[in-house]
Amino acid sequence: MGEARAQFAQGMVAGLPVVLGYFPIAFSFGVAASRAGFSAAETTAFSLIVYSGAAQFLAVALVAAGTPLLVAGFTLVAMGVRHLAYGPALMKHAGQGRTRRAWIWAFGLTDEVFGVALGDLARGRRFSEAFMAGLGLAAYLAWVSGSWAGALAGGGALAAYPAVEAGLGFMLPALFLALLLSILSRRQMPVILIAAGVTLGVTLAVSATAGILAGMLAGALTGALRRATA
Amino acid sequence: MRPEIVMLALAVGACTWAFRALPFRFDLTGLTPEGWLSRLLAATGPAAIAALCAVSVLPLVKGAAPPAPLGAGLGAVIGLWVWRRSVVLATLGGALAYGAVFAL
Repeated sequence: MGEARAQFAQGMVAGLPVVLGYFPIAFSFGVAASRAGFSAAETTAFSLIVYSGAAQFLAVALVAAGTPLLVAGFTLVAMGVRHLAYGPALMKHAGQGRTRRAWIWAFGLTDEVFGVALGDLARGRRFSEAFMAGLGLAAYLAWVSGSWAGALAGGGALAAYPAVEAGLGFMLPALFLALLLSILSRRQMPVILIAAGVTLGVTLAVSATAGILAGMLAGALTGALRRATA
Repeated sequence: MRPEIVMLALAVGACTWAFRALPFRFDLTGLTPEGWLSRLLAATGPAAIAALCAVSVLPLVKGAAPPAPLGAGLGAVIGLWVWRRSVVLATLGGALAYGAVFAL
């Protein structure tokens, strides 16, 4: 029990860099959601339930643009598929039978939490579910409280600070670009190029929503149909 | 709270949780790495992120944003990613650089 508590505390400490990063991003999500007409309760509920930054920013944009619910849901779910890769990567370090409570702590397995956990494991830390829970909870609390604070501040909170508003407005493209860089590999390059190219073409010709859907489908099919390479 | 917003959050939240948790329950390492399903799953995430990145950057490069802050922001994201390999740091640094150059 004492060992588990110590691991949990170590996880929370290891999560501090994520906490410091998440709070301002979540705050800007709260402001953006408020500007798009979300109430403080809706904004906070989104962070409590979905807990995925990129998906939440996109959800706000899609809802604000009047995208049909089914199309918005499909797009957001497709974005989350990348998380399937995190479990197997951690399992290699954890071994069989040591992830019995993963159904709880895996809720908090975001891109950054995964990155911190993998980094600690690579530096020799023994895998522990209590550590994962502490790390995930610290990041989760920062995300939810940041969203709530941003929602309470409201969409017009930064009108007197145009540079801050401009910086926060750039947060979404910056987040997607950083995520794209994090998954960039020679193997996935054709998928990325085709998805981006089709998205741009269809967006310019039809609409952003159609562009996103067409780009995602074209990229995923490119990956599925591509001949296996050694 | 609007019921459609709550429904969207619940559906997306449940799927996101499943994507994060199910690989620990059902060992996906058993899938043939070169099977079509593995390739489809591996490609869906990058395709979605590439599509969203393209659509979020497009309004900025089409002239909705002044070029100097945009260049500083994009440069900071790429530079910080190459330096620290951290999505959060690159995102915050990019927004900070964009805002700072915008203020000049």
